[in-house]
Amino acid sequence: MLTAVKNQTRVCLLSLKYNIMREMVNKVTFLMNIIFMMLNNACILIQWFILFRLREEIGGYTMREIMMLWGLTAASFGLSHILFARVFSLPELIVSGKLDSYLVQPKNVLLGVLTSATAVSAIGDFLYGVALLLFCGLAVGGFLLALLLIVTGTVILTAFALLFGSLAFWFVRVEILGNQMVMGIVSFATYPDGIFQGISRFLLYFIIPVGMAVYHPVHILAEFDAGRLFTVLGYACLLSTAAVAVFYRGLRRYSSSSLMEARM
Amino acid sequence: MQAIRVEALTKTFRVRRKEKGMRGSIKAILRPQTEEIRAVHGVSFGVEEGEMLAFIGPNGAGKSTTIKMLTGILYPDGGRVEVLGIDPTKKRRQLAYQIGTVFGQKEQLWTHLTPYDNFRFFGAIYDIPDEEMEHRIGELAERFELHEFINTPVRNLSLGQRIRCEIVASLIHRPKVLFLDEPTIGLDPVVKEQIRNLIRQMNREYNTTIFLTSHDVGDIEKLCKRIIIVNDGQIVLDDSMEHLKYHYLHKKIVEVKMQEETALPQVAGITVLKQKGSHARLEVDTGAVEIGDALRQINVENMEDINISNVPLENIIMEIYRAKDRQQVKAAIAPVG
Repeated sequence: MLTAVKNQTRVCLLSLKYNIMREMVNKVTFLMNIIFMMLNNACILIQWFILFRLREEIGGYTMREIMMLWGLTAASFGLSHILFARVFSLPELIVSGKLDSYLVQPKNVLLGVLTSATAVSAIGDFLYGVALLLFCGLAVGGFLLALLLIVTGTVILTAFALLFGSLAFWFVRVEILGNQMVMGIVSFATYPDGIFQGISRFLLYFIIPVGMAVYHPVHILAEFDAGRLFTVLGYACLLSTAAVAVFYRGLRRYSSSSLMEARM
Repeated sequence: MQAIRVEALTKTFRVRRKEKGMRGSIKAILRPQTEEIRAVHGVSFGVEEGEMLAFIGPNGAGKSTTIKMLTGILYPDGGRVEVLGIDPTKKRRQLAYQIGTVFGQKEQLWTHLTPYDNFRFFGAIYDIPDEEMEHRIGELAERFELHEFINTPVRNLSLGQRIRCEIVASLIHRPKVLFLDEPTIGLDPVVKEQIRNLIRQMNREYNTTIFLTSHDVGDIEKLCKRIIIVNDGQIVLDDSMEHLKYHYLHKKIVEVKMQEETALPQVAGITVLKQKGSHARLEVDTGAVEIGDALRQINVENMEDINISNVPLENIIMEIYRAKDRQQVKAAIAPVG
């Protein structure tokens, strides 16, 4: 069992290494993608600095919490796209029958698929997010907690994309809905949760899991709350279990295809 | 011992049906209609260890669907499959350690990496230790002459070199059964021959069972001793190549060049395919008339040149493809009389 986990981890890491090597074929594009993504994110933060010169608090957040919010969002989004970028194009893979090569390998199909691509600009997102959290003035323990919350955020975002992406086994053109839901998480995750009330707040905590991926973690970092932490950990486990179950249930319906293709 | 055992294998796909035009699209949203396509229907066969089998059929006959069910890519709707005693639907991963697959139309290699790096990746997938991996890469590179381009990125290789690497990548874990789906598609005759030699070599040296699908008659004729033809999701012929070629091949093509234009015989069993001046092309059905008798019917003294050949295997296969079931296949290829 332990050897199997070790071997699977070795393949996943090798896959990540080769993905990055593919992106590094053009050094200039590779570096530009990362640097410009960091600058792009930094520009948006400037707007918040201006807003906080006018008001001391927005939606219950100060500038420090906004930095945590942006840090966690960017780092979770980044890590998810570095390690599991393929989950965001899963419907295309299912519909065009591109899972074949993973199904003939003696390894976990899902991990093989998810780790088969890396979005290079996501490295910029991740670095930016981690840097921002470093500037929040967290203690060592707080920073380690932030790293754990980046992992839970990554798991929630990936599992949510997997859940919606796997619906492509049953429905056609589901990628539009899936993309909108995933982008919904990212869009809402850049605003303080205090500005959302009533039904929208309910939606953000229970339907689009931005509350679990980012809002709860921000509150945990601002003021440690073990209850919230266990809620987030429990939700991440529950959602990922459900997403994996739906994927494997759907895989039985996979119909492959005879399209010509190359592994690019 | 049988390497592959298939019993009453069935697979049906449900596909959406849409009427033409915008109205059809709107109708499809309001009242979606689906249709069941029977891709494989009650297919049964067995393949012995070390056998080289051609599994062929026209496009849409169910060949690839069958291969995909044998390799664990698709779940069958009914029937039973066992490859090396393993059920692909239940123990896909365990089976994957023992089989290799090459899909000519789908690349498994990373194009930005060199064949060497790709082989290392496949080695990791099959849990082969680094040292052993180096040994196997060296051995395969030597055997299949990859040294010239083993360190060139795959995207810069020619199609032939690339397919050779695909096959080598599928052999890295020394599979007992190799599934080849159109391995020579798009290759020139020289490279095709190289690939065929490679497959033959593997079968000879490692006793690898070969399950081949191809539209190239050369692949089938030169590699396989047994042929299964599927059409419309069913097996319409399961026979040895020798039997097919020599027992069913009852028609001969006789090409003659006469000294001057002559009237050709109007005898049962002899069909004039083409006649132009002193040149003629005849088809002789040896079931109806013996070849010696047929030649005697042609004015031998007036003959300048003669060439007798078999009907190309391609034509026989085409006839079989046109037949709808086993009965029609028998009628299409069985000798007359």
